[in-house]
Amino acid sequence: MAAADTPSATLRHHDLCSRGIRLARKMRSDVTDLLDIYVQRQGLDASISVAAVDGVPAAAAERWAEQTGTQRLLDNLAAYRAFRSLLAQMLEEQREQLGDADAELGPALAAVLLQVSAFTYHLEELLELESRGAPAEEGSEPPAPPRLSLFEQKLRGLGVLRELAQWAVRSVRDLRQLAKHGPGSGAALGLPESQ
Amino acid sequence: QRHSQQDSHIQYERVGADVTMKCGSMDWDAAVTWTANGTDIDDSHLNGSYLILKNVDLTQSGQYSCYEGSSWHLKYQTYLRVGVPPKEPLLTCRSNNYPKGFYCVWHLPSPTYIPNSFNISVIHGTREMVCEKDIFPKNRCHIRYLQLFSTVKYKVTLTVTNALGKSSTTLTFDEFAIVKPDPPEFVVAKPVPNNPRRLEVSWQNPSSWPDPESFPLKFFLRYRPLILDQWQHVELSDGTSHTITDAYAGKEYIIQVAAKDNDIGTWSDWSVAVHATPWTEEPKHLTTEVQITETTSTSTSSFMPPPTTKICDKGAGVGS
Repeated sequence: MAAADTPSATLRHHDLCSRGIRLARKMRSDVTDLLDIYVQRQGLDASISVAAVDGVPAAAAERWAEQTGTQRLLDNLAAYRAFRSLLAQMLEEQREQLGDADAELGPALAAVLLQVSAFTYHLEELLELESRGAPAEEGSEPPAPPRLSLFEQKLRGLGVLRELAQWAVRSVRDLRQLAKHGPGSGAALGLPESQ
Repeated sequence: QRHSQQDSHIQYERVGADVTMKCGSMDWDAAVTWTANGTDIDDSHLNGSYLILKNVDLTQSGQYSCYEGSSWHLKYQTYLRVGVPPKEPLLTCRSNNYPKGFYCVWHLPSPTYIPNSFNISVIHGTREMVCEKDIFPKNRCHIRYLQLFSTVKYKVTLTVTNALGKSSTTLTFDEFAIVKPDPPEFVVAKPVPNNPRRLEVSWQNPSSWPDPESFPLKFFLRYRPLILDQWQHVELSDGTSHTITDAYAGKEYIIQVAAKDNDIGTWSDWSVAVHATPWTEEPKHLTTEVQITETTSTSTSSFMPPPTTKICDKGAGVGS
């Protein structure tokens, strides 16, 4: 495996970052569309506020600018592994609720689940390149959701999709920071303090 | 000779109010004199020693003084300020330096004619954030993002208070929704030599945008010949220059650029407009000797160089 800072690793790193940025931007656009479909199909009010949902990784980050490249990748990977399971649960619930009659929400959910899985794999590759290797999957499965009422289930789904949309933007920013500094850059990738 | 003795204070009254002023501790039936800004007020406004002002208006703001009839001792003095309570203030919050923070700016839709005080509170989830007021302008303050990528909305409440009342406005918004860069700067448009249909446009990221590398901007260019109203547009996802290749030859163009974060928020306002005219071939004033003989033999040429024209064509050396 190429050491983290060889030319080929740098090229590969840059390629993975830019492909990752494109995938994250596409995912964000599809999640935004999915949110519209979800709100409409589930009969929810788009402006409803949803409290933090247990087991859903929050995209909000403090001192984001000071994170190291590896921290960014690890945070992203943990988040998207969790979203992969959450979306799979939602897909299952959605099939139970709406069955095959629904030709819009199910496919849209499945498409986003596919992108989340692809992006998770992408992050694992990047971590491999950081000569660090992606952490094992055990323990990253979110706890089985508590028995919820139908309305609570719908709200939870809304919370999941909203956080995912925020994560997609965060991932674009994270990958840009990574692309800026090359592989193996454990150092904090701060924001210039010019202003 | 009038003696100033009594403490004076400010009295606020609404436009249209009826105002009664007592002459300090003087009895109702005491002989007194009232002045407004030093001018005696006639007795028609008095009810005993009380001063009665009906349906006051802005022009009646001023200093009112009451003197005891015989000793001319100043018994009462007030500064009357006529005004109105504040209407709901107009509040705008915006991030033009994302991801550093955002600012909020406010103003009143109409004047109150009396001093107002403003209080702003910024709540993010359960956390109250500090809005650092600017020295100038006074109606603006800044908030630093403590968290990025949050799904929790920001709630900003502005309360304006004056002596006659209070009013407030609340804004609730998502972090991404208020991101709006400043317009691009240093926009320059130049003709491209030997290309009569091209214009080269370049600009810079707004200096207020802190990290264009991690938070790249995309741009929108609009251009039109001055003779037309219809703009042409082109969106550019990166880079800070563009070559217009379909310009009308010889026509002066007006060009503007706008900016937006690549992923979130809204477009900036248009930049300052710049003007440019595509390159045009230099008109040939002089025709060489050979050409002259040719033109005279083939046609009766209508072109007669004005006697003052300076012959500048080096090759021919004809007349100078």
